Amino acid sequence: MAAADSPSAALRRHDLCTRGIRLAGKMRADVVDLLDTYVEQQGLDASVSVTAVEGVPAAAVERWDEQTGTQRLLENLAAYRAFRALLAQMLEEQQEQLGEADAALGPALAAVLLQVSAFAYHLEELLRLESRGPPSEEGAGPPPLSHLGLFERKLRGLGVLRELAQWAVRSARDLRQLAKPSLGSSSAPGPAESP
Amino acid sequence: QNLKCVTQSLCKMVCTWDVSSKGKHGQTDFCYTTNDILPAVCFKTKEKRVEIPVPESSTMVTITMNSISGTAFATKEFEIHRKDISFVPLTPRILSLTPDFSTSTLTVKWSVNGSVFPYGLDTFWQIEILRKEAMEKVAQVTYYSKPTHEDIILSWNWTSDMPLECTSHYVKIRCYINVTQFAGPKDWSDWSPTEKVPGKDTEPNGSGVFPQDTVVAVGSDVTICCVHEEGEVIQRMTYGSEVYPMIRLSNRSSAIRVLNASASDTSGTNVLCILLPEDMHGTVLFVGYAPDIPQNLSCETSNFLIIKCTWKPGRPSGLYGKRKTKYSLFERTSGKNVSCEVNEMNKDSVCGFPVLADQKIYDFVLGVSNPIGQTESSLLVDLTQRVCPKAPEKLTVSGSSSTSAHLRWFINGSFAGIRLLCQTEISSGHSERKLHNVSMPGGKFTTYTTQLNALHPYTKYQFRVRCSAADHFWKWSDWSRIEEHTTLEA
Repeated sequence: MAAADSPSAALRRHDLCTRGIRLAGKMRADVVDLLDTYVEQQGLDASVSVTAVEGVPAAAVERWDEQTGTQRLLENLAAYRAFRALLAQMLEEQQEQLGEADAALGPALAAVLLQVSAFAYHLEELLRLESRGPPSEEGAGPPPLSHLGLFERKLRGLGVLRELAQWAVRSARDLRQLAKPSLGSSSAPGPAESP
Repeated sequence: QNLKCVTQSLCKMVCTWDVSSKGKHGQTDFCYTTNDILPAVCFKTKEKRVEIPVPESSTMVTITMNSISGTAFATKEFEIHRKDISFVPLTPRILSLTPDFSTSTLTVKWSVNGSVFPYGLDTFWQIEILRKEAMEKVAQVTYYSKPTHEDIILSWNWTSDMPLECTSHYVKIRCYINVTQFAGPKDWSDWSPTEKVPGKDTEPNGSGVFPQDTVVAVGSDVTICCVHEEGEVIQRMTYGSEVYPMIRLSNRSSAIRVLNASASDTSGTNVLCILLPEDMHGTVLFVGYAPDIPQNLSCETSNFLIIKCTWKPGRPSGLYGKRKTKYSLFERTSGKNVSCEVNEMNKDSVCGFPVLADQKIYDFVLGVSNPIGQTESSLLVDLTQRVCPKAPEKLTVSGSSSTSAHLRWFINGSFAGIRLLCQTEISSGHSERKLHNVSMPGGKFTTYTTQLNALHPYTKYQFRVRCSAADHFWKWSDWSRIEEHTTLEA
């Protein structure tokens, strides 16, 4: 952010960051629980390795500490918008594959989807505090699953949830970074502050 | 030497012979008699093979070998009797070999040339299925037909015990004709050229586990294969959590055999193929039951708008989502078909069918199907004999007398075509409950009334009403809500 924060904007951003950190923490706990349910319901081995899944944003980032606040927000928002679409796709897939037999996984997926949507909105709020505001939604949504076999779809779902759990951790760190008073969201932290 | 004659059509025959002397020699003079009267037919040939007519009974054959310069150096005479001639049918030809990967079925089609084949003779076709790189024989079947004089195409299906993708399958065919009127020895034709359905293990990007995401019945024996790329090695194949011994099909394909498969979980049983270096393929197998015949199918209407059919679905299929058991209600008279939304988790199942104008008798067929099987249950019902109205609503009691009361209620439904029987239960503090029956013409979404007499003055009564069809009783409706009323003082 070019101009220095007005006291009310800084307070508002700090408040949003704090609430965002709590939401990310809750989301992570729920995603970890969901992972257990998913692995059990899908008959998977919890230790199975899943290669990078197309369309799933990677949480790992190089030179994390050099990112500006705006970059953090934009990357987070892009990720959670992608996860929102991916989880909706998984929910639809669950309904098609299991229908009424799915008493646990579907509701748990839906609950996490709600949190992801809420978190995306939260990020948009933070971006609105900056002059530029959140970017419009674009992109054609997640790649279709039709070419994948059911087992590949199960693995893909596992990959999505694992990555989402990683993102929840990263988001909390990003928001802590943003919450630091000396930082405007668009300036990068000075060397003295890198973690 | 070894003169041998073979016919494929009972008209012409091909005779072949051997020559003992090794040295070079010129053309051969071949003569044969057609009958005792006419002179022999002679011609020269370089081959040790000639085609001549099949004799009525026998023919005299003279073979003269000539030197390069044309001088005869060896002559031999043979008498060929009809019974010495072998009958070997024409080699058949496979017209098409069509795989259906979803059912692992091969369809073989071959043609029978009616003009060539003797008319109306028992003909046997031997079909051989081979598999794997080593072309091992996996099936041989004999198929019978009795060709007429028309050209026909014969067809035969074979279902493999393993997915056709797993490895290449080959088919060849030969035939035998029981030419009863032909005295000579009869033999099988040559095998046809082999036709091939290539497996995925011959395709560059064919790797994967097969069958992909299929459904089988509990108790089935299932062969599941893993096709991988050149250079990869299968470390292990697991079905559910169990490692299975592998059967090698080719250098790029191995299979496991699951015997007597048990019911899978709701999300199916995962089959994994762990490969070195660092790769994995998988599929999901859904193991369930074919649908049971629905029991206790019963249909009734509560309002002459919708017919509600219920039944006991029997054993759950264990299949869910898009593989779940589907129900449809077909009515034969009208030809109308309705698909039913049934929750597999519920014990009882319900389906609604619209009441059709001017139709009293309904001939229902409840169709049931899932990927493993299908069945049905039927019911013929006269709707007027299957009326179970809704509970009467808006019961009101009025009356300005000490010994009578006027009841009024509403029933949601269209009963214009029948008479209704309604029963009022009258109870008051100390006395015994009494029932009062009244029958009346049914109406269309209307209210009904009755008058109760011989009540006690200044007494607090509780009334409730239920109704049913008057002429063909089926069931009582539920009771209405209780309505209280106190008669006036005498």
